Amino acid sequence: MKMKKSLLTLLSMILMLSLFLVACGGGNDTTTETGDSAAPTETTDTTEEAPTGEPVQGGSIVLGASGEPVMFNDYYNQDSASADVTDLVFAGLMRSNENLEMVPAIAVDFPEISEDGLVWTYKLREGVLFHDGTELTADDVVFSFNIPIHPDYTGPRGSTFAQLEKVEALDKYTVQFTLSEPDAQWAITAGYSILPKHLLEDVAIADLEDYRSFNIENPIGAGPFKFVSWTPGQNLVVEAFDEYFEGRPYLDKITWRFAADANALVLLLQTGDVDHIVAPASELATIETFNHVKLSSTLALRYDYIGWNLQNPLFQDTKVRQALTHAIDREEITETILEGRAQVAHAPVSPLSWAYNDNVPKFEFNPEKAKELLAEAGWEPGADGILQKDGQKFSFTILSNDGNTTRRDIGIIVQQYLGQIGIEVKPEQMEWGAFLDKINPPNYDFDAVVLAWGLALDPDPTAIWHSKEIAQGLNNISFSNAEVDAISDANRKILDQTERAKELAKVWEILAEEQPYTYLYYPQQHLAMNNKIQGFTHHPRVTFYRVNEWWIDNN
Amino acid sequence: MTTYLIRRLVMMIPILFGISVISFAIMYAAPGKPAVMNLDPDISVEDRERQMEKLGLNDPPHVQYLNWMGNVVKGDFGTSFTKKQPVKDMILDRLPNTLILMIFSTILAVIISIPFGVLSATKQYSKLDYGVTITSFLGLASPNFWIGLMLIMLFSVQLGWTPVGGVSTLGADFSILDRLHHLILPAIVLATADMAGLTRYTRSSMLEVINQDYIRTARAKGFRERTVIYKHGLRNGLIPIITIFGLMLPGFIGGSVIVESLFSWPGIGKLFIDATFERDYPVIMAITMFGAVLTVLGNLIADILYAVLDPRIEY
Repeated sequence: MKMKKSLLTLLSMILMLSLFLVACGGGNDTTTETGDSAAPTETTDTTEEAPTGEPVQGGSIVLGASGEPVMFNDYYNQDSASADVTDLVFAGLMRSNENLEMVPAIAVDFPEISEDGLVWTYKLREGVLFHDGTELTADDVVFSFNIPIHPDYTGPRGSTFAQLEKVEALDKYTVQFTLSEPDAQWAITAGYSILPKHLLEDVAIADLEDYRSFNIENPIGAGPFKFVSWTPGQNLVVEAFDEYFEGRPYLDKITWRFAADANALVLLLQTGDVDHIVAPASELATIETFNHVKLSSTLALRYDYIGWNLQNPLFQDTKVRQALTHAIDREEITETILEGRAQVAHAPVSPLSWAYNDNVPKFEFNPEKAKELLAEAGWEPGADGILQKDGQKFSFTILSNDGNTTRRDIGIIVQQYLGQIGIEVKPEQMEWGAFLDKINPPNYDFDAVVLAWGLALDPDPTAIWHSKEIAQGLNNISFSNAEVDAISDANRKILDQTERAKELAKVWEILAEEQPYTYLYYPQQHLAMNNKIQGFTHHPRVTFYRVNEWWIDNN
Repeated sequence: MTTYLIRRLVMMIPILFGISVISFAIMYAAPGKPAVMNLDPDISVEDRERQMEKLGLNDPPHVQYLNWMGNVVKGDFGTSFTKKQPVKDMILDRLPNTLILMIFSTILAVIISIPFGVLSATKQYSKLDYGVTITSFLGLASPNFWIGLMLIMLFSVQLGWTPVGGVSTLGADFSILDRLHHLILPAIVLATADMAGLTRYTRSSMLEVINQDYIRTARAKGFRERTVIYKHGLRNGLIPIITIFGLMLPGFIGGSVIVESLFSWPGIGKLFIDATFERDYPVIMAITMFGAVLTVLGNLIADILYAVLDPRIEY
């Protein structure tokens, strides 16, 4: 009898729990504001008046992260979790601001560039200190930039520094870089972390990547926060550096808390265990119901696309690719799948970039036009309604990676759109590793793929669009165009930004006209944080940007 | 017995060797290579190629295997491709967390399921028996992660009684109470899977025992029912259960993968799943081999315990 009762309790508990889950995971019709263009928009749930107080010293916050860092050395790490930490612990000559412009950091001012663009001279601030109290001088800069150009260097940034011929200290606070050819990207490359020569000069460059006592256990930089401890799988702690050259940060301590995935982070945010997370778009409606949390959204520096494999005869005709884009309602995709949190894209460059060019051919949703173009290309409806040409059916697979529901939904919606004009599409998903294996060289074993590119600060199109990147690189759809190649080769040598933007505009025009990709949209990215965090600035690329300016409002 | 033990231990060597070859082959054949899992357009082909070279990934597979094996024999499990740390340290770092979780959840499973199994057997076809049976089938049928999510939603999010995850409160000094507080939910979730099975095993094993002649004899002699069941019956009824413990040993890693991921519990299971997604070969191999050793050892322990507990068995 007693048992029966507890069984009943158990059953009712299970029922109750299911209800909770439905309530938490279900639809939420909170109106969401669509962030407009590049300007960061902040939505606050509380109706209290915005705190207007002066920044206060002190306090600590917990940042939530789902990825674990690897090591804290700019010249060797290649994951964003590590970069997030190095951004706080180290400082460079220059840094990017929230408008994606390079501005001086340890450098006093913008560099002096020689007439031929080969010699860049930076003046350093005096009295900048490393966390161990040693002054940072031109010698440290020379030491740091010599690492990636050393023949024994083993890290992943060799080609980033390929143009650097030599770097020398003119005096204690002046450093001069000599390039082998003009490099517009140098403005950004010069922002790499400066490492302390006095701690690392005795380590052979070949061993530096594995030099754990600096890279992992005790990294020392000149950034706003000092590294304190890291417990893998659990947390990482940094604390304010009193002597930071831009002034002591307001926060005393920052802790990263590592959780399994984005969903776990949302829970931790809800319970107040973490104060700041990158919010997954699928959870925004839930997050908006948390009273103690505010959301900030801005365009991410990236675009999502459908790539057409040009090695497949189906997609070799430009008219066909244009027709495919015409047949897919991207406006509808951004409105429904992304709930309006994105902007339709027409070219492979972000509106946030100075190289953005809006004046490119655009292929609006127009199924009739699509049919016409396909007919012009020789595709006629067969007996079963599916387009045919020379006995071949227009039928292909659209591939995306497992676990990404947005891309899965895009596959399905594309299947419907193209089905309406007589094209048979089979959406398919695959585990990330298998997926990469399939689409990348040497296999190129796919028809169409839904993917995204996170863009670098510099808009150089070479890595993705140059034909030399087909055999080995990231141009896995095998796009080849002589003019794009020529401009790609030349663009980095043009130091004048307006001039370079004009050249790159031609590349975007060609890529928009040719439609090797159907450019889907520029998505927003969302950060969710506790209302107490003040002084926050949303950077499209740096998750923890200017944390030294953050402060806590305890009211 | 000693000769038997030695023979069994010696036999472990070819078995483990075979497992290592097969695991390595499967891992090598799996699509996705470590150096390309991270599609960063900033990293050039040449730089990626150099990384492959440095990690020895450009060698033919048999060379890679022999290198790996050679190092393992020397006690070196290599360095993680993605985390750049010695694999041995990574595992040793996480092992205590997994062990704590396992021991706690096993104790929990035992103290709940064995009494219920026995009760269920002695009161066969009673309401209690049906209740226990239904509950254990529910437990067996419900996926771990679902039970975990439910408990998190109820106890952590709605009621705020337990932490959402992690092993201890951030920044707090070490305290046993705090550890237990973090341990309770994951241990319960992990225990549910074992509990259901253990209850069923105990029930059927006890059922078999209490129908034996010696139990009838004991009853006929006028011993109290409690003595009959718990002294005469349970001792024999537990023998097959003990065997199951031995076989549960390798499940320590497998079973923890989901629970550890769900609760952000930094143990071996979480390490394994991360390594798999990142194609971190040295870590995958080390944990697979660890699991293999546990499996082989678990079988051996089960057999030894069997012999200790059941005098009828001889070697």
